[in-house]
Amino acid sequence: MKFSKLFFVALMSVSVFVSCTNDNDDVVDSGDYNQGVLVLNEGSSEQGSVSYISNDLSSVTQDVYGTVNGSDLLGKFTQSIFFDGDKAYIIAGGSNKITVVNRNTFKLIAKIETGLVKPRYGVVKDGKAYVTNANTYSFENPDTGNTDDFIAVIDLATNLVESKIELNATANRIVLENGKLYITEPYSNDKLLVVNPTTKGLETPINIGSDADTMEAKDGILYVLRSPYGAASEIVKVKLSDNSMNKITFPSELQDAKNLDIEAGKIYYTVGTSVYGMDLTATEASNTAILNYTSTSDWGKMYGFAVRNNHIFIADGGDFTANSKAYVYSLTGTLQKEFTVGVGPNGFYFNE
Amino acid sequence: MCQWISAQNDSIINLKEVVVSDATLHLSNKSQSIQVLNDSVISKNQSSLTNLLNYNSVLYFKEYGRGMLSTVSFRGTTASQTAVIWNGINVNSQLTGNSDFNTFSAPDFNSVSIKAGGGSVSYGSGAIGGTVHLNNDLVFKNKFVNDFRFDYGSFTTLGVNYKMAFSNKKWSTQIGFSRNSSDNDYEYLDLYTWKGEQRKNENGQYATTNLYANLGYKINPNAVLTFYSQTSNTDRHLSLVSESDSKTKYINTFSRNLLEYSEAKDRLSTNYKLAFLAEEYQYFGDIESDYFSFGKSESIIAKVDFGYQLIESIKLNGILDYNHTKGFGTSFGNNTRQIGAVALKAVQHVDDKWQNELSLRKEVSSDYDSPFLFSLGSSYIFNSFYNLKVNLSRNFRIPTFNDLYWEQGGNPNLKPESSYQAEVGNIFSYKKFTLSETLYFIKINDLIRWVPGNGDNWSPENTDRVNTYGAETILGWSNTYGKNSFAVNGTYAYTISKNVDTNKQLFFVPYHKVTGSIAYSYGKLSANYQYLYNGFVYTRSDNDPNEIIDGYQVSNVGIDYDFGFLKASKLGFQVLNVFNQKYQSLEDRPMPGRNFNMYIILKF
Repeated sequence: MKFSKLFFVALMSVSVFVSCTNDNDDVVDSGDYNQGVLVLNEGSSEQGSVSYISNDLSSVTQDVYGTVNGSDLLGKFTQSIFFDGDKAYIIAGGSNKITVVNRNTFKLIAKIETGLVKPRYGVVKDGKAYVTNANTYSFENPDTGNTDDFIAVIDLATNLVESKIELNATANRIVLENGKLYITEPYSNDKLLVVNPTTKGLETPINIGSDADTMEAKDGILYVLRSPYGAASEIVKVKLSDNSMNKITFPSELQDAKNLDIEAGKIYYTVGTSVYGMDLTATEASNTAILNYTSTSDWGKMYGFAVRNNHIFIADGGDFTANSKAYVYSLTGTLQKEFTVGVGPNGFYFNE
Repeated sequence: MCQWISAQNDSIINLKEVVVSDATLHLSNKSQSIQVLNDSVISKNQSSLTNLLNYNSVLYFKEYGRGMLSTVSFRGTTASQTAVIWNGINVNSQLTGNSDFNTFSAPDFNSVSIKAGGGSVSYGSGAIGGTVHLNNDLVFKNKFVNDFRFDYGSFTTLGVNYKMAFSNKKWSTQIGFSRNSSDNDYEYLDLYTWKGEQRKNENGQYATTNLYANLGYKINPNAVLTFYSQTSNTDRHLSLVSESDSKTKYINTFSRNLLEYSEAKDRLSTNYKLAFLAEEYQYFGDIESDYFSFGKSESIIAKVDFGYQLIESIKLNGILDYNHTKGFGTSFGNNTRQIGAVALKAVQHVDDKWQNELSLRKEVSSDYDSPFLFSLGSSYIFNSFYNLKVNLSRNFRIPTFNDLYWEQGGNPNLKPESSYQAEVGNIFSYKKFTLSETLYFIKINDLIRWVPGNGDNWSPENTDRVNTYGAETILGWSNTYGKNSFAVNGTYAYTISKNVDTNKQLFFVPYHKVTGSIAYSYGKLSANYQYLYNGFVYTRSDNDPNEIIDGYQVSNVGIDYDFGFLKASKLGFQVLNVFNQKYQSLEDRPMPGRNFNMYIILKF
C-alpha cells in the first residue's frame, strides 16, 4: 500500500517535472524560422507561399506555411507581409485575406477574411493595422475604379476590420512616419496621399508627380522613387515637417529605376538587372552598377529586392509557372549564394 | 449498348434511311480509329460531355471543380488541340481555341464519336490530338417518339431532358430541350477552415440550358435538305478557392446553325453547307456588380464538296470552303478574319478489305501563313480477326482571336501551331470481343504559349516544340445468355508528352489513364459499374515532384428498372464516387465525395 502510494507520488512528480520541462521548452522555443530571411512568393495559378533562408545562408526551406499548417490555404497572389511584434500578417491580394502567423514558428494564429478587397500593403500603429485596398480597377469599373481605393483599419486585438478610410484615389504602398500614413500608387495617381490615422482624415496630398512607387522615410525625410515611362527617373525627397520637396534627377540612361531601399547610410535602387547605390546625402545619382545579374525573365527582373545586414537580396520572377531564384550578393557585388525559392518571389522580410 | 469501333457505313447517301450528319467521318477515315458512344452509353452517364468522355474514353480532363470550366488533353496535347465537331462543323471557340466540355449536354446528341489522331484536313484547326464528334442523325421512316428524362441528385442537382422525333419517309424532325442545374454546394472531404468548420464548394452553382431543332426533307430520292440548329446557355458562378475570394460568374452562350444540301446521282455527288455560329462569354468579376467583360464571335462558314466516282474503286472529292469570322469584345476591338481553303480527297476502295485514303488541304488566310496539310492512310482487313490501320498526317491549330488581338499583349505575328503525326492501329476482333491497340507519334512545332512579355503584359509566342507519343488500348465485349446481357468496356492510355527543349513532361498530362465499365441486365433490370483512374500529373513546367496532382480512382454504380408501361418507363438510381474518394483534377479544386442521383425515363 505504502509502496504504491509512493510510486504514485513519484509518478506524479515525474509527470509534473516532465510537463514543466515542456512548458520551459515552449518558452525557449522561439521557432524554426526566427533567424533568417522570409521570401514571399506570390504564386501564379496556385497559392502563394513563403520560403525561408537561414541567416548563415546555409539552407533554404520551401513552403514554410504549408509545412507548418498543412492543407490550409495562404491565398492567391500573396502581395506583402507586415509585422507587429512577433506576429506576421501575410496579405493575399487575390483572396481578400490576411493570414496572421507567429513570425518565428509560422503557426497560424488567425485570419482576417472580411472587409478587404484586393488588399496590398499594410503598416501598424498603436494596435491597429492600416492596409491599402485596391478595390475595383478602372478596367472593370470605369466609373469609380480609380477613386474607390481605401484603407482598411484593422483592430489587431480582434483581427477584424473596424473601419474604412476612403481615399478617393488609387493606393498601393504605404509608409508610417511621424504618426502619419503616406501612400503612393504608380499607375493612376500623381500625388503622395497623406492620411492622419488618429482622425482618419485625408490631409492635403503632395504633388510628387506620376509613377511614384517605392519609398522609405529616414530622419524626417521621405525618399520616394518615381520612374515615369520614357522619362528620367527621380528621387523626390519630401521634408515631412513642411512637405517641401527637392529632387535628384537620374541620368538619362537610368530610366525605369525601381526598388528604392535605404540601408546603412546609402540609397539603393535597381535598373533592369543592375543594382546601384548612392550616399544618402549625395546630390547626384550614381550610374555605376554595383552588380548585374543574369535573368531570362522579361517581366520578373528584380521582382523582389532588399538590402540588409551587408547583403543585397534579389528575387527573380522567372516564368511565373515554376520555382524561381533568389540571389544573395555582398555590398560590393560579389555573388554569395543562390537559392531556389517559390513561384514569383516578390519580397524579402527579415527575422533577426 | 457497347461501343462500336469503326462502324461500317453504307456509302450511298440517298438510299439511306438514316442521314448521317457527318458522312465524312466514317467514309473517308477508315485509316483511323473511331470510337462511337451511342445513346444507351450516353444515358448511363451524367449529362455533361465531360462526364461521358471522362468515364468512357482515353481523353483526360481537368475541371475547375464539379460542373466548372472543363478542358481536355487528348494524346498529350493542349486543350486547343482537340476539336469539337458539331454535325461536321468545327465549333471550338474562336476566342480561346478550345471547347469547354461542361457547356455541352451529351443527351442532346444521338451519338458522340471520338476520332483519335490528326484530322485538320477534314475538320480544320485544332484537330491535332483528335476530334470529338457530336452528331444528330436524322431518320426517314414513320416514327413518332417522345423521350423524357428527369434527374434529381445530391446538391440539389436537377436535370430535365426532353426530345421528340417525328418523321416519315419525306420529313424528319427532332426537337429537344435540356436543362441541368445544381446548387453544387458539396462538402470538401476532410478539409476544414482554420476555425475547424467543414469546408464546402461555395459559389459553384450552375445551370446549363440547351434547345435544339433538326429538320430534314427529302426533296427526291437523290437529294436531301437538312437544317440543324442549337442554342445553349451556361450560367455558372465560379467556385471559390478560399472562402474570402471575390465571387465571380461566367456566362457562355452559343448559337449553332447549319443548312445542308446533299445530292448524289450517278457518279456525281454534291454537298453544300452553310453555317452560322455565334458564341459569347460574359465574365462578372464581382457578382454584386452589373459590370462584366465580354467577348463575342460570329462566323459564317460556306462549304462546297464535289464528289466524283472516277472508277468503281476510286472516289475523288474536291472541297472549297470559306470562313468569315468577326470577333469583338472588351479586351479587343473589332477584328475580322477570313479563311479560304481548298482540299482534295481521294479514297480508293480496293475491295471490302482494303481502303486507301489521301487528302490534301491548303488554307489562305488574312491573318497568318498556313501550312500545307495532308493525310495519308490505309486500312486493310487481313481476316475476320485482324484489321491494320496506318495513317500519316499534318495538322495545325491556328492562333485564336485572343492570341492575335488581346489588348494588351496579343501578338499579330503568330504562326499556327503545326504537327506531324504517324499512327498504327491494330484492331482485333474475335466473336463478341474487340480490342483496338493504337500507337502514335506526334511532333508539334511552334506551340503557342503566353509568356510574360514587354512591360506588364503577357504575350503569346510560338515558343515550344513538343513530342508526344504513346499507346491507346480500347476493348469491348458483350454477350447475351438467355435473359442475361453483359457488356464490358475498357480504355487505357499511356502518354508521354515532352517539351523537346527541356525534356520535361507537359504539365497536366497524365502518363496513365484507365476507364472501365461493366453493364449487366436481366430482363428489365439493369445495373452498371464505372471506373476511372487518372494517374498523377505535374502542375509545373519544371516537373517539380512536390507540385503534382495525385492520381485518383473514382467508381460509380447505377441500377435501373423498366416498369414496362409505355415504350419505356425506367426508374434509376446511381451512386457516384461510391468509395468516397477524395480527389481533384486541379490544385485546390476538390471534387465531391459520395453522392447520389435518381432518374426517371419515359419513352412514348
